[in-house]
Order: sequence, then structure tokens, then C-alpha cells
Amino acid sequence: MLKDITIGQYIPGNSPIHKIDPRTKIITICFYMTGLFLVNNLTGYLVVTLFTIGAILMSQISFITIMKGIKPLSFIIMLTLGLHIFMTEGDNVIWQWGIFKVTQQGVQQGVFMSLRLIYLITITSLLTLTTTPIALTDGIEKVLKALFIPVAHELAMMMTIALRFIPTLIEETEKIMKAQMARGADFESGGLLTRARSLIPLLVPLFLSSFRRADDLAMAMEARCYRGGENRTRMKQLVMGYRDCIAFIAMTIFLVVAILTRYWL
Amino acid sequence: MRTNKIARVGIIAALYASITIALAPISYGMVQVRISEAMTILPFIFPESILGLFIGCLIANVYGGMVLDIFFGSLATLIAAYMTSKMPHIWLAPLPPVVVNAVVVGLILKFAVDAPLLLSIIYVGIGQMIACYILGLSLFYILKKYNWYK
Repeated sequence: MLKDITIGQYIPGNSPIHKIDPRTKIITICFYMTGLFLVNNLTGYLVVTLFTIGAILMSQISFITIMKGIKPLSFIIMLTLGLHIFMTEGDNVIWQWGIFKVTQQGVQQGVFMSLRLIYLITITSLLTLTTTPIALTDGIEKVLKALFIPVAHELAMMMTIALRFIPTLIEETEKIMKAQMARGADFESGGLLTRARSLIPLLVPLFLSSFRRADDLAMAMEARCYRGGENRTRMKQLVMGYRDCIAFIAMTIFLVVAILTRYWL
Repeated sequence: MRTNKIARVGIIAALYASITIALAPISYGMVQVRISEAMTILPFIFPESILGLFIGCLIANVYGGMVLDIFFGSLATLIAAYMTSKMPHIWLAPLPPVVVNAVVVGLILKFAVDAPLLLSIIYVGIGQMIACYILGLSLFYILKKYNWYK
């Protein structure tokens, strides 16, 4: 199930979202996240939901793919929901049993926080699902350079390698876990300390294989004459077009509406 | 920066994010044992991994869903990783991630979900102790046996 995580994966396509400049995607995602963290009522979450569904439809990525990416994290989503339901104080008590109390505010807060998490996962997955690793590196590099951050190329390359290898390493984690369980390893019983210590047989092979992978990757990069950002030229230059203007306008409207729903509705 | 260092830092970031996401139920919240924090021992022997831990934590915290955690949680990891790289002895190396994260994540939980401050600091601190001291140091000595970082 863990291998279904969509962050870091790329699905080739010809949709308007695929064609948007990576810089626009990165900046507009910051707009989206700001809006998402600002909304705090039903109207606001309706606006975010509509925008998210619109973005998924425009990307032509199937809802099943998006759902598959969310499924592995269903436990943490349920945990967020449960914690907020039982820990948020409120006046309108819906149900009470001893010290356990469910209030209307708790249910609302739990649903909002879970939705926020689902939308965060969806939108970050959508970025990598519709952007090639090379375009993403170029995009991150240009944005970091615009922010006057030194070693922008190296940082962008590291971020892209990280995003690219997350699905691979998650799959590897699952594979090693199963292999160790077949050898009698027990990851699920005992106290917190015992369970943490039982993870050493998982971490050691994972570390060793990851570092071997890093060495192979470095060798492959050098074999293709990679020498860092210095004097590096690009076959495909990033050019912004009318799609990027539309994306910026749409996301500015989204942000303004999010602010309006928070402070005036 | 040399290519092998860039690749290694990228993979460290991916590894941190992967372990955190793969073990998601125990990686977030007030009672957390973020197993990936065992990797905070790395800056002691490999200072470039400071950036890897920061990037990995940034990506992993997106999955936590708390805006304060994305920025300040990742910054805490960056500061702790830098301090670890300057520690004089291996036994002191896991101390900065324990202290810095317990305080910063405790404060984040206080402001984000209104969790009791002292209790959050204690819970996160215990989780960090398990991850950094027990797992981190065990991992360090096992990996040292394999001469993996030479």
C-alpha cells in the first residue's frame, strides 16, 4: 500500500497543468497553501474544495490516482480527525461518556483539519505528477535564485533528487519490512521502546542500500558530464505564456476569496 | 559541491521523508517517535547531511498538515543538525535534536492545536530521546562497523 504514495511520481500528459511553467506552479502552490491555511469556515473550505477539484480535472490525472496517494496516509488523517473531535473544547455537546466529550466545534475542527491534510497531500502530489524532474529542478532553481539564495542550483538538484527518490525508498522500506518479517522480525508488538528498537533491522539495510544508490546516482550523473550549476546551459529554456498569466490570476482570485471568507464571512 | 555529495544529500532527504511518511502514525503529533530523527546523528560525521535533513524534514512536514511545523519544525531540524555537526563527542551529538525539537515542536503543538506546553515538551523530548539516542547511536555504531561512510 505504501508504494501507492504519489508524491515524487510523474505521469506524462498534455493537459494545461502539465504545460504550465514550473516556476508558476511552485509560486501558485505557495498561494494555494496560504489560502488553505487561512480558511477557517465552511464557505472557505467549499472554495478550496472547488479549486482543488478544478485543478485535478484540468490536470487530467484520474481521481483514482489521487485517492491512491491519500490512502496510505488514511491512518494519520483518521488520527487527526479523532484527536480534534475528542480534544477540542466547545459548548454544544453532541455526545458524552465519562471524560470523553464530542462537541459540534470538535467535529467541525476535526473535519476541517483532515480536509486540510488531504488537500495538502493532493496539491503537492499534483505538482510532481504533472512536472518532469528536470523541469522541477529548473523551476526550483529559478525561484531560489530570485530569492537570492546561494547555491541555488545545488539546492534545487538536491530537492529534486529527494522528491524523485521518495516513492523508490518508500517501496524499498516496505520490501525490507516484509523481508525482515519473513525472517521473524516483529515490528508490531511490545512497548514504544521495544518497537523502536525492533526497527533497527529495518533501518540498517535501508541506510546501506540508500547510500549505495546515492553512489550509483553520482556515478551516473558524472558519466553524463554533470558538473553542477557552473556554466550549465539548457536545451529547453523556461518561457512563461498565457497559461501562466491565467494561473496567476486564478490563484490571486483564490487567495483574495480565501481572505474574504476568513475575515468577512 | 561535488556530485557525490549532492547525490548523497538528496538521498538523505528522500530517506528522512520516506521513513517519516512510511511510519506516519507515530511520526506526527504530541506523542511522536519520529524514527527518521535517528538520522540526526549524521551531521556529526557528514556535515553536508545538514541540508539533507532540512529538505527531508520540510517535505515530511507537509504531510503533517501544520503550517507552523512546515516552517519552524524544519528550521528547528536545520539548527539542531548544525549544532550536532559542531559537537565535540559522539555521545553529545544527539543532544541538540532532542532539546531543540522538544522545545520548538512543543511550542508548535501549543500554538497549533492548543496542546499543554509542558506535557508536549516532555512527550516530544521522550520521543526524540528514543529516536536520537537509542536508535541514532545504535545505528551509528552498526554502520561504523560496515565502514559505510568512508
